[in-house]
Amino acid sequence: MEQVVIIRYAEIHLKGKNRGYFERVFTVNLERALRGIRHELHRTSGRYLVANFAPSETEEIMERVSRVFGVHSLSLGFETENDLDSIFYAAKLVSPKEGSFKVETHRGNKQYPLNSMEISSAIGGRLLSENKALKVDVHEPEHRVYVDIREQGKALVFGSFEKGAHGMPVGTAGKGLLMISGGIDSPVAGYMMAKRGLSVEMLHFHSYPYTNEAAKEKVVSLAKILSRYTLTEKVRTVSVTHIQEEIHKKCAAELNVTLLRRFMYRIAERIARREGDGCLITGESLGQVASQTLEGITSSNSVVSLPVFRPLIGFDKEDIIEISKQIGTYETSVLPFEDCCTVFLPDFPAIKPKLSFIEEEEAKLDVEALVEEALSTLERISL
Amino acid sequence: MIYLDNAATTRPSSGAVERAACFLGENFYNPSATYGGGVSAARELAKFRAGLLEHIADPAKFKLVFTSGGTEADNTALFGGARRGNIVVTAGEHAAVERSAAALKSRGVEIRVAPIDQGGGVEEEAFLALVDANTSLACVMHVNNETGAVNDVFSLSREVKRKNPRTLFFSDGVQAFGKIPFTLPESIDLYAVSAHKIGGPKGTGALIKRRSLDLPPLLFGGGQEENARSGTENVFGAAAFYFAAEETFADLQGDRRRVSSYRDLLWEKLSKELFLKISPEEGSPFILTVSAEGLRGEVLQRMLWDRSLAVGTGSACSSKHRFSRVIAACGYRESVLDGVLRISFSRETKEEEVLRAAEILNATAAEFKGKI
Repeated sequence: MEQVVIIRYAEIHLKGKNRGYFERVFTVNLERALRGIRHELHRTSGRYLVANFAPSETEEIMERVSRVFGVHSLSLGFETENDLDSIFYAAKLVSPKEGSFKVETHRGNKQYPLNSMEISSAIGGRLLSENKALKVDVHEPEHRVYVDIREQGKALVFGSFEKGAHGMPVGTAGKGLLMISGGIDSPVAGYMMAKRGLSVEMLHFHSYPYTNEAAKEKVVSLAKILSRYTLTEKVRTVSVTHIQEEIHKKCAAELNVTLLRRFMYRIAERIARREGDGCLITGESLGQVASQTLEGITSSNSVVSLPVFRPLIGFDKEDIIEISKQIGTYETSVLPFEDCCTVFLPDFPAIKPKLSFIEEEEAKLDVEALVEEALSTLERISL
Repeated sequence: MIYLDNAATTRPSSGAVERAACFLGENFYNPSATYGGGVSAARELAKFRAGLLEHIADPAKFKLVFTSGGTEADNTALFGGARRGNIVVTAGEHAAVERSAAALKSRGVEIRVAPIDQGGGVEEEAFLALVDANTSLACVMHVNNETGAVNDVFSLSREVKRKNPRTLFFSDGVQAFGKIPFTLPESIDLYAVSAHKIGGPKGTGALIKRRSLDLPPLLFGGGQEENARSGTENVFGAAAFYFAAEETFADLQGDRRRVSSYRDLLWEKLSKELFLKISPEEGSPFILTVSAEGLRGEVLQRMLWDRSLAVGTGSACSSKHRFSRVIAACGYRESVLDGVLRISFSRETKEEEVLRAAEILNATAAEFKGKI
């Protein structure tokens, strides 16, 4: 008998002929999530088992696995021989100390001599006779003991299910480039796209010395937290300092942010194309700030041809905050390091900028040279 | 790196640290212990206490209580000294005093704030007018940490006592101790000092108080410091503070004269088109606060760091807390508040550093101005 973490997967079973591919990616992701912890990962039909780990690592393994997209649920339990004595011994370890309970058996191996009802009643009966504080309630039990009869003479025994992260294995839906700021929204956007199987690369724009090093470090901390889900390994940074200075000096103040965002989109697309990222991801939410109006989004969207995924477009701030708390980025996001200096914030940003006006103002700048110059400041920070 | 942010903290004196190191080594004993090692640590601590006090006060009239720094000394003075009624503070006080006063306000103490002038010094008449029969505590910092303005706390304390003899007078002397030669008059009841502004280590300071004054402690516990401040004594900190003070007071007048000439030299060399002087003429020679009007001090500070010059600032890029509360109280317009830089010297500062700093400041501010 051995303690194991039982992993069931979510939508992969829907994938028909591509199932093998999805399972391979899922396996790699589980291994990446468990990197640094001694363990073995076994695949059985419809299940994964993590085995041969130190008892002190149990909690860490459960936590890391629960964050892997594609995991439907997970249980901590035992793998045993499938004879009734071994099953009973394991069942005793996962059964409650007192209260009502029920044994539920699932017979994956239909060759097994007893049927599910018979196994449940045999194990339930023996648990009952050993512990007088227990009673059976098959309708509304307080606790359940699950027995899963598997192939090759094995059975799994466990006491509960924990919810997994659901979604699709990261990497099965291609690769996208997340524009990550230090705010609340962009990490949530990255999380949501990763949940749909997108591999998420990250790009951060800074304007040192107008913003400080702490702001950059904050983004790295956010990226680290997010990468527990996205399994991202690095964050790229690009300086837009000179672009901001040029816009500030030469263009209409109310377009500062609008113009800067167009540059950010252009730079992001260049990097995405170079690195094979098939889309851009942003944390934009309609109407949240001046640059996220329909007109603002139209303006920035019009400078790129890659698809731009904006998973938060219809979300209220409150809903976004809720997810960010759930994934653990919220507390870091609200740290007070600003990602834009007040030097560049106009008193009244344009809320509905006309594209013709934007293009007229932008024509005062050497767009291509500024983009190239910004690209030369690209840095990679390992997470 | 040219370091001209000495009002933030000074580089610890290596001599002082070295001489005090034995208290982190062989003489590690708890001064409260009654065996030999403890007794000798207590004896040394008493020597440091007396030696530090002697630089600025008559030990027959004052006592020195070691604290974890200036902030704790300020808090002890305010929370211990304030009673029902009102306390009077100045608009120039350090956050340790200002925030303590705000906390006292929520406990029902009336807080009266005296205005400061353009140089950061308290408006004396306005200040004295706020003191009345219900004033339990009056606080005036000795040297303003943001502008270097020196308040005449000796005469102010006498005036306060004349108006209300029961009012305690507290002065935050963190930027004055080891920078100005003086002897505390008895009209000052409480005086706060800090080690790391004069070459000592961070985490050590003291509250100097009139001997006959009984002040409730901020920290309770083992009853150290004659019950005035519980917590095992930081013997290393006290020792390094003592040795640093010994070096600082060895030629205070000479150092002051030299640093004063450096401050004047720096101001002389700074471009008057780029910089506006905020520090008052008769302020502390150790602090020169200027404003690069229209530029953002915090950004300029980072640009200067990248060009090997470290200075302080009075503004931030953040949209909240953008301006220094104190410099704003001096009455400047926003564009001036944005560009505040605090350049502060120590007795270690060299003339060539000052000249080079002036060049870097002029060039960097000009470059910044060209960019935006």
